[in-house]
Order: sequence, then C-alpha cells, then structure tokens
Amino acid sequence: MTMAKTQTDSEHEWTPRIVAYCCNWCSYAGADLAGTSRIQYPPNARIVRVNCTGRISPEFILAALDMGADGVLVSGCHPGDCHYTSGNLKLRARWAIMEKAIEQAGIDTRRIRLQWASASEGQVFADGVAKLVEQVKELGPIQEEWK
Amino acid sequence: MTDKVSVALMQGSSCWGCFQSLIDIHLRLAEVLPMLDIKFWAAVADFKHEHLEGYPDKSIDVGLYEGAARTEEDIHHLKLMREKCKTLISFGSCSCFGGIPGLANFSDIEECYDVKFRSNKTVKDGKVPTENVPPIAPVIKPNNQYVDFDVYLPGCPPTSDLIFKALTTLIKGDELVLDPHTVCHYCNRDKQETPIPEILRPFDGNADPDRCLLEQGYICMGSATWGLCEGQCVNKGATCRGCFGPPPPIMQDQGANGIGMLGSYAPLEPEVIQDAVRDPLGLFWRFSYATSHLGSMRIRREEAKNQ
Repeated sequence: MTMAKTQTDSEHEWTPRIVAYCCNWCSYAGADLAGTSRIQYPPNARIVRVNCTGRISPEFILAALDMGADGVLVSGCHPGDCHYTSGNLKLRARWAIMEKAIEQAGIDTRRIRLQWASASEGQVFADGVAKLVEQVKELGPIQEEWK
Repeated sequence: MTDKVSVALMQGSSCWGCFQSLIDIHLRLAEVLPMLDIKFWAAVADFKHEHLEGYPDKSIDVGLYEGAARTEEDIHHLKLMREKCKTLISFGSCSCFGGIPGLANFSDIEECYDVKFRSNKTVKDGKVPTENVPPIAPVIKPNNQYVDFDVYLPGCPPTSDLIFKALTTLIKGDELVLDPHTVCHYCNRDKQETPIPEILRPFDGNADPDRCLLEQGYICMGSATWGLCEGQCVNKGATCRGCFGPPPPIMQDQGANGIGMLGSYAPLEPEVIQDAVRDPLGLFWRFSYATSHLGSMRIRREEAKNQ
C-alpha cells in the first residue's frame, strides 16, 4: 500500500487532507455552485467524482484512511432524490455499518462525514467541508493516531 | 516413479486444522505420500528445528506454512521456511489473512495478557510466562508482511479436495490455477434481486431452502468470499462466514466488500441496520482483519505504541 507522504515536517504547517467523494448529479454540481457563487470554504478537500454514492464501497473510505487521508467526506443527493432512485440509500446503509466497524477498530469516527447536498445547495456543501476540516484539525494528522 | 519431491510443513499459531484437512484426503494419501520426501513436519516426522536450519537454502521444493505469526518463534520459523523452500505456500486463512488469531489485534497486547494470563478465571495470581516459552510479538502482522508467498491456499480449513489438487499439481511441477469465482458462483440458491425488509439473526425463523440467504435477510458473506470451498455451507443451509477470504486479486478488503453487498440488498434506516448488525468488525472481517485496511491501521498504531 502506498502511503501518502506526511506533511508534518517543520517547514510546512500541517493542514488536513480530505478526500471528498461527490455524486455526479447533486453534490458535484453543488460543489461547482459553491465555486461559481464564490462561497469561501477550506481548500483541503480533494474531490473525487463518482456517478452515484451507491457506487461507493466502504473500501474507498477505508483505503483512503489507510493510505493517509486525514478525513473522508461523502456527499450525495438527499434521500429520495437519487438520480438512480436508491443509490444513496444503499450507501447510507453501508455507512451505518462501516461507521460502527471504524469505531470498533479504534479510529475516531469524526474523521468521516456523510452529508446530503443537492445541486442548488452550494452553501450546504461548503459548510460540510468546513465542519469536517474543523473536526479533523482538532484530531490532528491521522498518522498521529499511530505515533 | 520419478524423483521424490521434498516438502517441509511448518506450523505457526493455529489449531492444526489445515494439516488435519490434509490428512483428511484419506486414501488418496496413498497416491500422494510415495511422491513426497518429508524434510520437516513436526507432528509426523522426527526432525528437529536444527535439521531444518541445517538444510541448504532453497533445497526444499515445496513448503507449507500454516497459522499466523504470534510468537517470535513463529516469525523465525516463517522466515526460515522462506529461506529453505523454493515454493512457499501460505496454507490456510490464518497464514493468508491473519484469520482467527488475527482477531487478537482487536485488543492491545496488555489486554490480551490480562485475559489470557493475569486475570484468567482458572488461575490465581496469574503472571505472564517468561521462561521456556518464546516471547510474544506485540501485534499480529500478517505473514505476507514478513515474507513473500508463491501460492495462497486459503480456507478454514482448505478443503481436502483443494489440498489434493494443489499438492498433486505442485508436485508435478505444474502451475496451480485456481478459479477466481466467489461462493455465489457455486451456490444453487435462486436469486431475485429484491431488497430485504429486515436483517435476521441466524436463529430467526426458518430459511427458505431454495432462495438466496442474503435476500431472505440472513447476513451471508458469500458474495465477498473466494469460492474454493465450492459453496459447501450455503448449499447445506448455513450462511457463508467468509472463511476463504477475499477472491483474487487476493488482498482485497473482504469485509468492506461484504458490507457493500449487504448495503445494496438492505437499504434500511441507519439506526435499524446498526441495531441489527451488532459486531460488524467481528462479522465481516472475521478471517481477514489483519490484512484489511482497518487492520493495517491498527497494526501501525500498536507498533508505534511499542516503539
């Protein structure tokens, strides 16, 4: 497994690195809207677009944490609004189990965040990123968990 | 009969079940045994560890390593086997993925000592033994972090048919090709792709013998598990527990895939599903925790703690 290099060397101040999985139909458009609307939010999130949050296996989230992401955000359509009818409900069920497993494995569940943001909710998306960044900043780098 | 093939069989921390399964090839042993020149097998032939250490490097054709590396002695034996054997087989799920011994990583080593030695209910004033026993490694790392394996032969235990196939193929010097299908491929049950209304515990109700167990609400790991068992449990009416680990590519995260499948079938409210799945880590990662993403993060944390 390739580990992302840690950014904690003394010259650079550490900032959280967040992997954000956004669904194509709502949250990715929402993130776009946040940008075009000039909404200010932390630049820590690296957005990965997926067609639907139903495409996301828990492995995506666990692998990201294992490889050194400090936090993982998943953002999809509101329940009931999924472009593919029920993809986000499937993710929500997976998330519930995975969250419990992460907690059992001794990793702080504040490192992961699931949110719903529609294409018109640029502010909701931006607030979600800000909230996760704030949580992860409190926790420190994920490498600290094993230092 | 051509030249005999030299073999060495080594056991780490395990239950001996995989070697038992090897013995269970029964009469076919008559076919296999004459082809073997056993160089080391603690339970069967009277060779000592010095004998194994004395062989030249790469002088043994086939080696089987069963079990996880819990003690320093296991780790030494594992590395020794790699030095001496041309083909090293990771034999059984403990050896491939950490298996049941790997679940010890749920707790740190001090907690393990407490349960096993210090506060053991059958012992008064228990102490951690230090004399005449090998030291215990602070954390169980999967065997493939110590050495490279040539063949993974998972299973808890690997079935006798699988062992027979693997041994005869390797003894002949042929390449071992294993089908990559999951357990579902071998399952005779009917699947209709319906969402499940509620998750059932194994003791709830009576399962329909002809329909997919997961669709009926019983948590079955079949879809995330390598089907080298040819679907024994599911065809007999028991859910798959995932003992053959993830299908190739071999080090996928089996538990994550199992959760993915369950989520697809049961898009239930988070509270409902959290209440129904009491111990996701122990359920979905029962045999592959040490090699999973969550397991590897835990190992790094425990290692850092002990530095």
